Amino acid sequence: MAAVDMDTMTRKPELAFAPGDFELFLHHEARLLDERRFREWMGLFTDDGIYWVPAVPGQESPLNHVSLFYDDRTHMKTRVARLEHPMIHVQTPPSRTVHQIGRAMLEETQNDRGEFLIYSTVIMIEYRQDNQRLFGGHQYHRLRREGSSFRIAHKKVDLVNCDGPFGPIAVPI
Amino acid sequence: MLNGTLDTIGRLIEPGRVSRRVYTDPDIFELEMQRLFGRSWLFVGHESQIPNPGDYFTTELGRQPVIMIRHRDNSVRVLLNRCTHRGAKVLNERSGNAPRMSCLYHGWVFDSDGKLIGVPVAEGCSANFDTNDFGLAPVPRIETYRGFVFASLAAKGISFDDHLGGMKANIDDLADRAPDGKLALDAGVHRYMFHGNWKLQVENVLDSYHVPFGHASTVSKDGTQFARREGDERGAKVIEKDRTAADWKIRRSYDMGHGHGWTSNTKLDDDKRSSPVYEAYVNALAAKVGEARANDILKPKFHNSLIYPNVSIMGLNIHVRVIKPIAVDLTEVNVYPIRLVGAPEAINAANIRLLNVTHSAASFVQTDDAESFFRVQKGLQSQLTEWVDISRGLGAEDHDQDTNAPRGKATDELVVRGQYRAWLDYMREAA
Repeated sequence: MAAVDMDTMTRKPELAFAPGDFELFLHHEARLLDERRFREWMGLFTDDGIYWVPAVPGQESPLNHVSLFYDDRTHMKTRVARLEHPMIHVQTPPSRTVHQIGRAMLEETQNDRGEFLIYSTVIMIEYRQDNQRLFGGHQYHRLRREGSSFRIAHKKVDLVNCDGPFGPIAVPI
Repeated sequence: MLNGTLDTIGRLIEPGRVSRRVYTDPDIFELEMQRLFGRSWLFVGHESQIPNPGDYFTTELGRQPVIMIRHRDNSVRVLLNRCTHRGAKVLNERSGNAPRMSCLYHGWVFDSDGKLIGVPVAEGCSANFDTNDFGLAPVPRIETYRGFVFASLAAKGISFDDHLGGMKANIDDLADRAPDGKLALDAGVHRYMFHGNWKLQVENVLDSYHVPFGHASTVSKDGTQFARREGDERGAKVIEKDRTAADWKIRRSYDMGHGHGWTSNTKLDDDKRSSPVYEAYVNALAAKVGEARANDILKPKFHNSLIYPNVSIMGLNIHVRVIKPIAVDLTEVNVYPIRLVGAPEAINAANIRLLNVTHSAASFVQTDDAESFFRVQKGLQSQLTEWVDISRGLGAEDHDQDTNAPRGKATDELVVRGQYRAWLDYMREAA
């Protein structure tokens, strides 16, 4: 992870967004997930967008190693359709979640592609069927400029316990 | 309380039903660890997990920690992961390289064949202390088949050949799909846990009855499941007109003895299976084995297979699944994608990606199975209902000439009854 250059964040004249805009966007995303608005959440991703949760620390590639999630648009659509299906047993009753996003920082700006890499921390508390679980990790959003807002070109969540054994995980983190 | 005599164990199993206690009774679980996991042939790992001398992989046989390690002479050893001094687990990581294994507690050092080669403050050893008596113990029996390493914690018992029997064909079917005829389990592992008895997962791998209901959320409005193989537009037809699809009901299951079994393939659009990635793989295979042989190899033959009691091998979206009992109501499952050695990396990558959505802890398929196991374990707390029904197709099986095995509908429970026949054989005999 590159060190964050505070000067870059505050002084870059070509940066059309204030740092708070990125944070607002992440909060919006978290809220969609917590409110189970999964289809709208999927809509935040670009058509070539990827949602990745690696299965080992420092995992370099999703192609030569298993991942907890590695969804392109096709898999994301299946996942969301399933979350909306009345017979998704592992969501009967549904999970209730609250996401806490912290420490949002601009890591990198790619002006030629209109993309920004945002680092943040995430904590998700999930309650379902008498059981409360805690997920925590570092996340990296590659946001692509679109009009006055962004879409997610790539989201990676590095869970601190990514290589541990998990009970069923039904909702995205 | 259970005393483990033939009489009491025998009463738990009847021709078409089993007592709920085989899933819920901690005493029975303890007996299983001694009598079943303590002496049956168990899958340990695959040789490809430890390619170089000193490479190791740690796992559990039943609950007992073991080390699978490659010695300098290239042989694969399976050693008890327990220091011969005071009992500490010697290797603590899941995998790594350790030409010498050193115990953290008092620094005893073992060679990769288990031999004790270092004892600090040696002058303190008793007069008759002999290092030869204190090596890390090898498991009593170890055998391999096409890279699959099996071990038995008992010195005596059925031979590996007799045990594996007709299931070799299922391993061959997969290994032959690799252009180099070799498989590799080197692309990581999905680990999931469920609050339920280990046999619930074992029974489930050959259960075709549950799919239209248990996995309803994976089926689209047209009645087909999502695509689970590279080159497929869609998955199997599971439901039609609100009922289990005719194509689904034609699947068969085979009772292969010793608790083993397999289910025939899922009917898919094999004529239409096509993609640049798939074609490149077919060409790579044909280049090695010839076109006719490649076509034969690629004809789907089985959906899933169980090598009782702890491993299943899936032929659809290829993987090896290891079932690890932890407690009577807690089980860990490890799912390894299979890499076809010699195949273009793109087809292996596609398999790995599809396995994420079918069998990771966050997958579309496995999550609903885990929920089923959890609810069964809860339901079986009902003490007023003793029996669990496994009678579907009882007496309706025929005999398959090719495999010389009883065959039934895959939506029946023939293979579950076969598992309990084997279970009784292990369980009613004192270890």
